[in-house]
Amino acid sequence: MLELLQLTLDGLLDGSAYALVGLGLSLTFGGLRRLNLAYGATAMLAAYVGAWLHARHGAPVWLVAMSVVACAALIGWYVERLCFAGTRDETIRPASGPGAPVAGADGREVVALASSFAIWMQLEQLAVNLLPRHLNLFPSLAVERNWFVGELMIRPDRVVLALVSIGLTLGLAAWLERTRTGLSWRATADLGTAAHLVGMPVPKLQTIGFAVACALSGIAAFLVLSLDGQVTPMFGMWMLLKGLVVAMLGGLGSVRGVLRGGLLLGLVESYAQALLGAQGREFATYALLLAVLMWPRPMREERAVSSGVTR
Amino acid sequence: MLEISDLATAYGKIEALKGVSVSARSGEVTCLLGPNGAGKSTLMLTLSGILKPKRGSVKFEGEELIGKTPAEIVSRGLALVPENRLVFPALTVRENLMAGAYRRRDTAAIRSDIDAMFGRFPRLGERAAQMAGTLSGGEQQMLAVARALMSRPRLLLMDEPSVGLAPLVVAEIFRIIRQLHAEGVSIFLVEQNAHMALKVAQHFYLLEQGLVTFSGTPGELAEEDVIQRAYLGRQRAA
Repeated sequence: MLELLQLTLDGLLDGSAYALVGLGLSLTFGGLRRLNLAYGATAMLAAYVGAWLHARHGAPVWLVAMSVVACAALIGWYVERLCFAGTRDETIRPASGPGAPVAGADGREVVALASSFAIWMQLEQLAVNLLPRHLNLFPSLAVERNWFVGELMIRPDRVVLALVSIGLTLGLAAWLERTRTGLSWRATADLGTAAHLVGMPVPKLQTIGFAVACALSGIAAFLVLSLDGQVTPMFGMWMLLKGLVVAMLGGLGSVRGVLRGGLLLGLVESYAQALLGAQGREFATYALLLAVLMWPRPMREERAVSSGVTR
Repeated sequence: MLEISDLATAYGKIEALKGVSVSARSGEVTCLLGPNGAGKSTLMLTLSGILKPKRGSVKFEGEELIGKTPAEIVSRGLALVPENRLVFPALTVRENLMAGAYRRRDTAAIRSDIDAMFGRFPRLGERAAQMAGTLSGGEQQMLAVARALMSRPRLLLMDEPSVGLAPLVVAEIFRIIRQLHAEGVSIFLVEQNAHMALKVAQHFYLLEQGLVTFSGTPGELAEEDVIQRAYLGRQRAA
């Protein structure tokens, strides 16, 4: 019984970390209808800059945290300029007739996807050049002692991560629902041409939204890596995979869905690891994703691509 | 109020507008008739700044609009009710109206304008919290009109508001156009339904294959075979 409680607790704490990892990816997809494959690499390179500042210049933890988030936003801006701005749906095309997109899709989406993959490779190489060793030290939040509730063990820094994740997700969802800028972000995501027509600055909104999403990935990267105390170039791949699974479980583009998807994944992984060992953990991740994608129709349509950013 | 001269817009090499000159007077309903593919929607999207023309000028109250962004054009008092309505399907009816007022900053006035829209379109008021994508075609058309009015435009552009709607709903749309005209709103209407347009407009143009081929009053319209051409396109003599 105690073991089950501990597993559930671990699963929920892991799950909220996953939610934070998927948040930026889902926000980008919700706003642009584009998948950013360089998402994980962006966060990883930002984390490398943080690790580099810490190892070579002795930067304190708070400075590392701030520079990781700032670098992620900056690198995100660079990725957006290079891969997404040029392939943006400028809606300078009519809904029908010559030049109209077919079934809502056109070649631009593929170009954005492929070029963000290329940038992923570039960012990874930059990180390796910055710190050539495979394993690099990452500053931790320096919490030595664990909390005990009865016989349950809790790591305080994991609680911090969970609270930040839940706070950011719910805060972002509320902001999207209640503010004027939030409304314009949702409107742009919903129907770009109409957003132009009511006078929304669509290109500017998309650039800022993209950078904000990448800053969120920086927050996620810092908090997750500070738990491990180390970073490798593989971290980008990990962020992208976990982020994608979480975002798809919750409905790509849905902000609150990310929290649902993250917690679900965390619990399933935690139980699977207890039952099947470390190999079973990864197996469970993809089995879960497959199950959700192949679920009977009504649920799948709701899940696979959420029509509203927050729903 | 609106002076369009020698406007040409192309999709790649295909010229949809081949030098169009049209003007709309303040306080009037001006109607541009034309068959499918004549370039009507192209003209509307060019006026809104969505499409960039190859040449020509659009003067609104003396100010050049070509080269301005859609947002700047909305701020200057032009609002489009687009073809196929283009309401935001995943936003609620109320949020659609708030989006329509995006360029305005007067929060209190926006709120009272939304209430006024619900007074004018009671069906929208009943569905204020409903996703716009779940509305019927007629309700979406009302919402598209209300959303455009939320920017408090000085000239309302309407692109085929009757297309794809049941006759009763079409009658309702034209009743609203007459009502807006009576309230002093200037309207530039693009239509294929000449019989309905005849009841509301004071001046007519006919657009055929990217060129204006007729300009006149409702009386002059009736004398020529313009109405037939509006539906069927130009009948070329062998």
